[in-house]
Amino acid sequence: MTILALDIVTTALILFVVAAGLMVILGVMKLINFAHGAFLTVGGYTAMVVTDAGLSPWLAAPAALAFGFGAGLLIERVIVRPLYDRPLDAILATWGLGIVITQLITLGFGREVQFAASPMTGTLPLGDTEYSAWRLVVSGVALAVGAGLTALLYLTRFGLNARAVIMNEPLARGLGIDSGRVRATTFGLGAGLACAAGALITPLLSVDPNMGLPWLVNSFMLVLVSGVSIPSLMLASLLLGGAQVLVSSFVSPILGGMTIVVLAAALLRINPKGLSLG
Amino acid sequence: MNVPPVAPALEVEGLVSGYGGAMVLRGVSLRLAPGEIVAVLGKNGMGKSTLLKTVMGFLPAREGRVRLGGEDVTGRAPHLVARAGVAHAPQEFTIFQDLTVAENLRLGVSSDADYRARLGALEGVFPRMLERLRQRAGTLSGGEQKMLLMSRALLARPRVMLVDEISEGLQPTMIDRMAEALRAAREGHGVAILLVEQHLAFALSVADRYAVLKLGEIIEEGAAGDPAAAGALADHLKV
Repeated sequence: MTILALDIVTTALILFVVAAGLMVILGVMKLINFAHGAFLTVGGYTAMVVTDAGLSPWLAAPAALAFGFGAGLLIERVIVRPLYDRPLDAILATWGLGIVITQLITLGFGREVQFAASPMTGTLPLGDTEYSAWRLVVSGVALAVGAGLTALLYLTRFGLNARAVIMNEPLARGLGIDSGRVRATTFGLGAGLACAAGALITPLLSVDPNMGLPWLVNSFMLVLVSGVSIPSLMLASLLLGGAQVLVSSFVSPILGGMTIVVLAAALLRINPKGLSLG
Repeated sequence: MNVPPVAPALEVEGLVSGYGGAMVLRGVSLRLAPGEIVAVLGKNGMGKSTLLKTVMGFLPAREGRVRLGGEDVTGRAPHLVARAGVAHAPQEFTIFQDLTVAENLRLGVSSDADYRARLGALEGVFPRMLERLRQRAGTLSGGEQKMLLMSRALLARPRVMLVDEISEGLQPTMIDRMAEALRAAREGHGVAILLVEQHLAFALSVADRYAVLKLGEIIEEGAAGDPAAAGALADHLKV
């Protein structure tokens, strides 16, 4: 029972950290970034490259965060910014970008499944049981990401400017806020978070050019259900991720893989606001 | 000894602007000296708000120039015009409803240090704002929301304020307070104020000069203190 509870909590936190970058970009830019799955994949390969180069596996997530942030700034400047006035085209562009990134990864690293070294292996004692050390570490990082994003939004000038841009961009611009810079920084942050999440989940999985796709689908549904709210995303991850664990454990892992999508669609059908806490 | 001439705080020269193919402003020219208050009067649809939006950079100038203290800012993005020293108090969508009063005020100032240093200045003009700092702005009354709008513009310590129909929907006592706040901004910090108004008595009580905008052109200008002006202006503002 304790293991099941830990599975539910850690799965929820992993889902949260994976979806956080998508939510950040949607919140500020009103853009659904369909390249999010590809960014996760880039993070996975960054972890592999870092460990293959003989560097500490602990450097994988920070390296992925930095690489993703830089790449995000560049992509925003070259691909997304020219399409701000055409939001549908911007969404399609991120879809295309995801395909291009996946193909480039395939060209560079091949199609085969590969593995990255884990910073921590084995289990840690937790009360009267033992649990996967790396899942616990990732869960701790997810909590830190949630706290960090909350602090960034509510305790910093950048966060205040970003919230102003979310609420009323023309008014924010009239007050001297460079909404273009806010958008660029946000896209970089979202891409960096996605890459870092990819590096964090890699030790739990294998790496292949399409590793981000199922995570993109689940992240997309979670963000649709939660809206742009960190507590709501936590709640959605806990409820839907918990259901996924229960279905996988007691019914079928294959059905478990569909649980989030099906439940999210049903939830939105019943209540279009989903689990939004406001 | 020759004293160099002081550049106008705001100079609008031959401004042409509009929406799509429809030109709303047809060659508007205005000059505001530092510390001067000029009221732009006119009925609805004559181009008053369009003038402010074009000065701010929200609408492109098809022809003409906008200068701030002699510096050409024509075509600059709104955030750059704001940073050049212009505070805009628009008529609609004026505050961030879901932010607190304090957060709305912070957004008007470029740094939190300046915000803390200047906040006390509201004691003399809108002390109620200091009592409501933690309140969500959307829960303020209509008059209080106008106070917040003006407070935010005052804290910015701009060179130029663009104020769009601030008296609309306000009670007479509140209109008097707005007039006091505008005078205080001018006297305390030498702010030049372009006041777009339909409330003739309020506009003439605050302004040094007036200009009447009709169908995108300035058809009449004069001193606000001229007793003959009020009657003629009232005719221009009749619907």
